[in-house]
Amino acid sequence: MSKRQLAMVMDLNKCIGCQTCTVACKTQWTNRNGREYMYWNNVETQPGEGYPRGWQEAGGGFDENGNLQDGIIPDMVLDYGVPWDYNHDELFEAENIQPDSDPVWGPNWDEDVGEGDWPNSYYFYLPRICNHCSNPGCLAACPREAIFKREQDGIVLVDLDRCQGYRYCIAGCPYKKIYFNPKLSKSEKCIFCFPRIEKGLPPACAHQCVGRIRFVGFLDDKEGQVYKLVHKYKVALPLRPDMGTQPNVYYVPPVLQPPKFDENGKPIEGEDRVPIEYLEKLFGPAVHEAIAVLKSEMAKRERGEESELMDILIAYNHADMFRLDNEYYQNIAAEQGLKGSEFFKIVDSRYIQGANTQKIEIKSYF
Amino acid sequence: MKKALKAAIFGITAGVTALAFSANAGIKDFYKWEVLNAKYVNDELPTDPKADLWKSVPGKKVYLYPQVSVRLNDKKANEIIPRKRLTAALVKVAYNRDNIAVYITWKDKTPSIQPAVTTNAFADGVSIEFPNKFGKGITLPYIGMGDSKHPVTVYLQKEVAGRDYQKSFISEGFGSLTEINEPDVDVVMVYNKGKREWTAVFKRPLKTENSNLKAGLVPIGFAIWDGSQYERDGNKSLSRWKFIRLGKYELDKDYLSYVSWGDMIHKEGDPERGKQLMAQNGCNGCHRYDDQQMAPEGMAPNLYNIGGIAHAPYLRDSIVDPNDVVIKNLNQNRHYNKAGAKDVNGAYPNNDMFTWYIVNPDGTVSSKMPPFNFLPEEDIKDIVAYLKTLRTWKNFK
Repeated sequence: MSKRQLAMVMDLNKCIGCQTCTVACKTQWTNRNGREYMYWNNVETQPGEGYPRGWQEAGGGFDENGNLQDGIIPDMVLDYGVPWDYNHDELFEAENIQPDSDPVWGPNWDEDVGEGDWPNSYYFYLPRICNHCSNPGCLAACPREAIFKREQDGIVLVDLDRCQGYRYCIAGCPYKKIYFNPKLSKSEKCIFCFPRIEKGLPPACAHQCVGRIRFVGFLDDKEGQVYKLVHKYKVALPLRPDMGTQPNVYYVPPVLQPPKFDENGKPIEGEDRVPIEYLEKLFGPAVHEAIAVLKSEMAKRERGEESELMDILIAYNHADMFRLDNEYYQNIAAEQGLKGSEFFKIVDSRYIQGANTQKIEIKSYF
Repeated sequence: MKKALKAAIFGITAGVTALAFSANAGIKDFYKWEVLNAKYVNDELPTDPKADLWKSVPGKKVYLYPQVSVRLNDKKANEIIPRKRLTAALVKVAYNRDNIAVYITWKDKTPSIQPAVTTNAFADGVSIEFPNKFGKGITLPYIGMGDSKHPVTVYLQKEVAGRDYQKSFISEGFGSLTEINEPDVDVVMVYNKGKREWTAVFKRPLKTENSNLKAGLVPIGFAIWDGSQYERDGNKSLSRWKFIRLGKYELDKDYLSYVSWGDMIHKEGDPERGKQLMAQNGCNGCHRYDDQQMAPEGMAPNLYNIGGIAHAPYLRDSIVDPNDVVIKNLNQNRHYNKAGAKDVNGAYPNNDMFTWYIVNPDGTVSSKMPPFNFLPEEDIKDIVAYLKTLRTWKNFK
């Protein structure tokens, strides 16, 4: 669908669930104008219901024959959680600090719950953004064809002028990573921070990540770390590939976990706490091979040998982790004859302007 | 007297159009069921549903069928479709020298206003559509917001909290709705709690940049959305084309005979034979209808209730010359081809099997459905007669 594809790799072994990415995204994009409840980036605990609640059972995506599947639209109160605030103003007078509503669910509601019984309980963190899929379910579901995938980098965006707020996209996305803005009556989603990307900056969530778990780059850039993790070592896998949308956010599955203990509190050699079946459900059958490669490369390093893979995963240098090829966008701008302040116009104007409607001024996003 | 009248009308029509056939053209029935007699007034047309004028305008029942021609992907909405009921609306039309007003009222026990802070609540709404071009020699557009050769103008009113959600569009079929700014259009929609019914009044100039309704017989289509049944977009109920009689303008007899062709055909033709003929000609390989469910969903428009939403002449046109009414299917990305080669980014190509049309080298589009113009007239009539009996959607899955 697109000529090139930007992708992100997240190393789950290093995610500490601090939500810095979530906050980076929220303050940049979703703290206003009907987006308050949305988390374009969220970090959830797995196993768990996740955000929105039960997204893995909410339908959408494609069946094994490539046909779009029915899905549901999560509920603001029951599944996303209404944004609430606390009575901070009464901090020194009130008896209790309490929410100003009575929430029953919210992002991260089941944080650190996980599965299993002490001492062998387990969980890990799963940060999620829009997967900017190669066969996007949201795009396929839109009866108005208001969702498009950018030629130059495969970023999936909503043409807000064509969008009429029908919400079939939400039913069609198996990750429930496209949201309804009730104030505008339009659908909105993670934009992969494209205004930043076009300036050579990685998405805010990746840039701010304190665990340095996120790699960003073009999938066809063979020198890039994203390419190496996804295609060379094949240790970065898409989430729920069985949903059939060909996602472009990839995860290094969690292999670093505490041992399982027996009844006497002694570690059981060779047994993993997180059941491999669960990882297979999330990341597909390729997870076995990915874990095998990760373990053997770790062992190499332990023996003092060289391992390019381990060096990449250590994430020494932002410049290597984020290969955005800024000149790529500059060249597109040049090809279009844009210069100086006009450079911003390479932003796909369909994001705010319909193909068949009157021309409007392109506003700055910053 | 009846016979004489029929003979007289027939005498006029039979000579000018090949469409007329020996069975009863049913002009009288056509007037009874399909024609909305508009009242001419000298004064301003009121948009207030409570205005006195509307008490003096005779109304007519218009029935709206759940849209099942295409299947959308909202699980909850799809689950309730087989249980949905026919919507009955009462329609009145008035016009003066410059403007036309359409009054429509319908029962809805669950008034739904789309709230400002929910993700999955939908608005009640209503719309009307007019073909941008109609009259002698112009075939009827697809009722579902027109088609690529027959653009329509659509006026929409929805109940959304915090704003007047009134819009005008030009449309050439599914997905093509394009918002326009047509001046002097007004829509008022009011809920009557006592009677538990909505009433809307649409007012527009008879002549706009896009269409001119100054004619004896003006096609109009209706759609109603029930927010409590997850209705929006194609999840809605729609009427077949109705025809407004504007007495001040001359009635084109040819057009009347075209649109009223076969109006009672489902009673006069042989629907049983029509059903057999459809199976023999392989219609059920692509279309789903009645108990025929073997076509893959989305291959072609479902015909479950086509008899409710389409007129006989439209059905005839579609069989004999499908290229005249090319309907672009919903978003082609809904089906991809797992057997096709993935592109560099892992994307499967779209599955062309589910595309309803072919784009010709000159950019025009042709329907994938072959023309069945080789069928004898008798066969076409029986097929149309059968299609006109299809008015239930309980087999929709």
